[in-house]
Amino acid sequence: MIDEEKLEILVEGAKYDVSCSSSGSRRTNVKGGIGNGAVSGICHSFTPDGRCISLLKILMSNDCIYDCEYCPNKRSADVRRARLTPDEVCELVINFYKRNYIEGLFLSSAVFDSPDKTMELLYETVLKLRKVYNFNGYIHLKGIPHADSAIVMKAARLADRMSYNIELPSEQSLKLLAPQKTKQSLLLPMKGLNGAIEYDKQNKVRRGKVLPAGQTTQMIIGASPESDGQILRLTEALYNNMKLKRVYYSSYVPVVKSNKLPTVGAGLLREHRLYQADWLIRFYGFNVSEICEEGENLSPEYDPKCAWALRNMHLFPVEINTAPLEMLLRVPGIGAKSAYRITETRRFCALDFDNLAKMRIVLKRAKHFITCKGKFYGSDSYTQVKCSLMLAAGGANEQLSMFSETSTAVSALTGEL
Amino acid sequence: MKIFVTDGTVTAFFTAVFDAYREKNCVITSDTRVQLSFDSEVIHVVGEREKNKRVQNAVYKCDRQAVDDIVLALRSGDPSKEQTAFEYLKKLLEIKSPISKMLSLPQVIDFNETVRRVTLEAHRLKGLLRFMESREGVLYAPYSPDNDITDLLMPHFAARYNSERFVIHDVKRKIAGMYDGHEWITGYAGEAEIYLSEYEQAFKNLWKKYYNSVNIKERPHIKQMKGYMPVRYWKFLPEKNGK
Repeated sequence: MIDEEKLEILVEGAKYDVSCSSSGSRRTNVKGGIGNGAVSGICHSFTPDGRCISLLKILMSNDCIYDCEYCPNKRSADVRRARLTPDEVCELVINFYKRNYIEGLFLSSAVFDSPDKTMELLYETVLKLRKVYNFNGYIHLKGIPHADSAIVMKAARLADRMSYNIELPSEQSLKLLAPQKTKQSLLLPMKGLNGAIEYDKQNKVRRGKVLPAGQTTQMIIGASPESDGQILRLTEALYNNMKLKRVYYSSYVPVVKSNKLPTVGAGLLREHRLYQADWLIRFYGFNVSEICEEGENLSPEYDPKCAWALRNMHLFPVEINTAPLEMLLRVPGIGAKSAYRITETRRFCALDFDNLAKMRIVLKRAKHFITCKGKFYGSDSYTQVKCSLMLAAGGANEQLSMFSETSTAVSALTGEL
Repeated sequence: MKIFVTDGTVTAFFTAVFDAYREKNCVITSDTRVQLSFDSEVIHVVGEREKNKRVQNAVYKCDRQAVDDIVLALRSGDPSKEQTAFEYLKKLLEIKSPISKMLSLPQVIDFNETVRRVTLEAHRLKGLLRFMESREGVLYAPYSPDNDITDLLMPHFAARYNSERFVIHDVKRKIAGMYDGHEWITGYAGEAEIYLSEYEQAFKNLWKKYYNSVNIKERPHIKQMKGYMPVRYWKFLPEKNGK
């Protein structure tokens, strides 16, 4: 059994990986085996930072030969180092899984010796877990850049999901902050895996599918100067070309001191807005060009859908009882579930504001953009709408003081937002 | 006003519906601590197979999904669950076609909410249930859910641990689901005495260590944690109860 200190070192190194989802896999258990995949994903616990624990997130080793600026495990960092054996990982996974602590394993590693050796050890661990320990639960495997594609493919046949982290949203930043990783070393394997997934899909492979839960990636926000517009364009391209399931954003936290990195974190609000925009792209039928210009950032005052609606006031208000689903999805405050509920219910009767309220559809923002049976309860004036949306977003509205920033003071004086 | 008191079973509920359907003003409940009014008349309902079957058939003809939904709703811990289901059922028999999506009807909203609470809790506890290993290798998980969901959890864990023996024990309702490696049953279980395996505490400690290490201290968000993992479930979570 591994000791607690080793566990602590290797978990501390892995915890900045955002992805912890366990959805998308329907892997079934076999007789005498343990575990299966739950397609909805299951969260097993939540930490005080509000994130869920679904998988046992751990590094095989934190002894890295690379020297990426932002990474707490980089070669030049003075930290405790540790390495696990495949059997230690397997024992931990099986025993945690049996007690229902976790849904599966998220195995990642620093690059020790060489990328090939690292990938090989990851593969060996997963193979052991699947074949010797008969484990059929969820496995998320981190891809090692520059590793041999044959080993990667063998590992992909055993895992449920793999991820190559883009880390930084542009090639220049990658060159500056993670000089040993190149754009090609990240995108090529992603493309190869996507090819294998598509092949399985076209040939209707049933058993032993490559990566049933697909691929994801992650990038750090705020460690480099890219704008939100650039980040979202990259995101959209990844969804379209690589068929990724998710792109995760991780707002930069200054844990490592370096003169190439900013000293302050990017803040959670920026990350939140990016996720909101990401959802608009994936589930609400928005294009990036509608959400944000290339060089621009998302507005911190209100969410990207509100911002879009304010730029396109000529399209509103829409009538709840007749508007098509695509338009309902574009009303601020109406989400995918609410839009679906509206379209289902209005088949039976015409809806009014009372019905909407009882159906738990939040009208705080939506009322400015909809009519029900021709009635409109919002505000006519553009500035008033803008104002109430900002208040609804609960942004940084402050009482003016001697020490307020000049921009706040000016806006308070002129009344302009 | 007539008050139909059932014993909480599905059969008794449908029997009560049969008896109460023509009444103008009546209540169905399984709660024996119900507040009586001046003119109330209490009727104890005993489940009858024939009446149960007739009502179920009538419901099934209107909506194939409805009987299953009602059975789910009756698992709720809400004392007015029978009344909610009854109102829904009356509306369904009146309209004679599926009504689960007619969200303009208050009966449907209440009923759907009751069902949602049950299924939500069942989903949550698929994650939040914690097993401990006994000396004989049997896994034992005590919990006290708001709703009677042991039957909903058993198939999930039986598929997952198909070669283990395990017990899920609802200590509030004194019900236990047991799986012996082949099939599962549920039954009455008062109190359990368990001798833990020698590794149990060590893995518990490792888990607590993991829980504390994976947290990012720089970005606290306690409210979100409590929203997803309500405090009432913490009693049985080793990472939260300090044991």
